Amino acid sequence: MLCQHYKEALIEAAASSAQAQGELRAHLDACASCRAEFEREQTLFASIDAGLHVTANPEVPASLLPRVRARLDEAATPLTHWFQPWIFAAASVALAVTIFLIAPPHHTRPDSQAKQAPQIPVAVTPGISAHQQNSGASARIASSNVDRSQRGHHSTLLRPLASSQLEVLVPPDERDAFASFVAVLGERREVELALVTPGPQREDEPTSLAPLQINELEIRLLAGTESEQSDEAEQKQ
Amino acid sequence: MQELVLVQPGRTAGDQLEREAAQADTRREFEQRLSECGPLAYRVARGVLRNSADAEDVAQEAMLRAYRQFDRLRDRSRFKAWLVRIAFRLALDRLRAGKRRELRDTVWSQPEHQPPAVNAEDLAASNEFQAHLENALAELPEKLRLVLLLAAMEGQTIDEIASMLGISTGTVKSRIFYARRQLAEKLRCYANIIKKR
Repeated sequence: MLCQHYKEALIEAAASSAQAQGELRAHLDACASCRAEFEREQTLFASIDAGLHVTANPEVPASLLPRVRARLDEAATPLTHWFQPWIFAAASVALAVTIFLIAPPHHTRPDSQAKQAPQIPVAVTPGISAHQQNSGASARIASSNVDRSQRGHHSTLLRPLASSQLEVLVPPDERDAFASFVAVLGERREVELALVTPGPQREDEPTSLAPLQINELEIRLLAGTESEQSDEAEQKQ
Repeated sequence: MQELVLVQPGRTAGDQLEREAAQADTRREFEQRLSECGPLAYRVARGVLRNSADAEDVAQEAMLRAYRQFDRLRDRSRFKAWLVRIAFRLALDRLRAGKRRELRDTVWSQPEHQPPAVNAEDLAASNEFQAHLENALAELPEKLRLVLLLAAMEGQTIDEIASMLGISTGTVKSRIFYARRQLAEKLRCYANIIKKR
C-alpha cells in the first residue's frame, strides 16, 4: 500500500529525468523493490529517448536536394513557356467565336458566285499605333479596312497566319476595349479560366402552347327580323 | 463597308523579362532556405513514415509545393515551420493511404545510424524494442508526435520548436512530457526486452 502510494511520483520523477527528492528519495532508500522499479523506469525512459533519437535523426540522402532542384526546374518550365500561350490561344478563340455569333447576319451569295469570286487578300498593317504603344496593353493591334459586301462573310477574313501569334478580328470601336481586356487577362486568372471553361450544355425544351379556349357560339336573330315577318303577314292578309 | 481590326494578344518582351526576373529572384531566395530546411523536412517525413524512400518522396513533394506557393508566404521567417507542417501533413496522408514501397530500409537495417553503444542507447538499439517504439510513436496524437520528433532532432531547441509551431515553450514542454509518458505506458510491457539486454 505504501509502495503504491509512491508509484505515480516514481514514474513522474523518471519521466522528468530528475533525481528523486524529499519523501520519495527517503522511501526509495528504504524500499529495495521501489528502488528497483525506479531504476527500471529510468532505463525505460532513457531507452525511449535513445530510440527517438535514432528515429528522428536519419542520415539525409545526398540525392535529396539535387532531385528537388531538378523537379523545381521541371515545374518552372511549363508554367512560363507552355501554359500561358495556351490560355491566350483559348481566350482568343473564344473571343473570335463570340464576335462571329454577335455580328449581324449578311446577305448570302449564291454558291456559284461565291466560287467565282476571287479570294480577297486582306490588307493588314503590321505597325502599331503610337496610342496603342503608349497604352501599355499587351496586345498588338493592326487595322484593316475591308469591304464587307465583297467578302460575304467575315469568317473568310481569317487568313492563314504568317506569324505564330494568334490574331483576332474585332470591330474598331471595340479595339481599345479588347486591348484593355487582354492586358487584364494576365492579372486575373479567373477571367482566363472562365473563358476557356465550357458552359453547361442545355437542351432546348419544346415549347408547349395551350389550346385556344373558344366560348360556345350563341346564335340570335338579327334586329329588325321580327318587324319584317309581321309585314309579310299583313301582306298575305 | 465595315472596318475590322486585327488583334494579336501576346506578351510584350518587357513583361516577359520582368516575369522571368521575378521568378529568378524567387528561385534564388527559395534555394537559400532549401539547403537549411530541406533535411528537416526529410527527417520529419522519415519519422512519420519510417521508410527512407517514402520520406524522400514526401520531402520532395513538400518542397515542390512550398516553392509553388512561396510567393503567398508573407512572413518568410516562418518558412521552416511552414515547410515542416507541409511535410508532416503529406507524410501523414501517405501513411494513411497505406502506400508502401517494396524497398523498406528500416532502422535496424542501418546499423551505422545507431548511436554509440552507451548503455541506454545500446538497449534502444534492440531491434524489437525499436520496432515497438516506432509503433507506439505512430499511435500518438499528431500534435504530440510532431513535437516529440522535432525535440528528438539534433539542433532543435525547445525555443526553436515553440517558434516553429507558433506555441509557447511551456506547451512544447508539456507535450513532450505527455508524449513520453504515453510511450512509456505502451512500452512498459516490453521492458523485459531491455532487461534481457
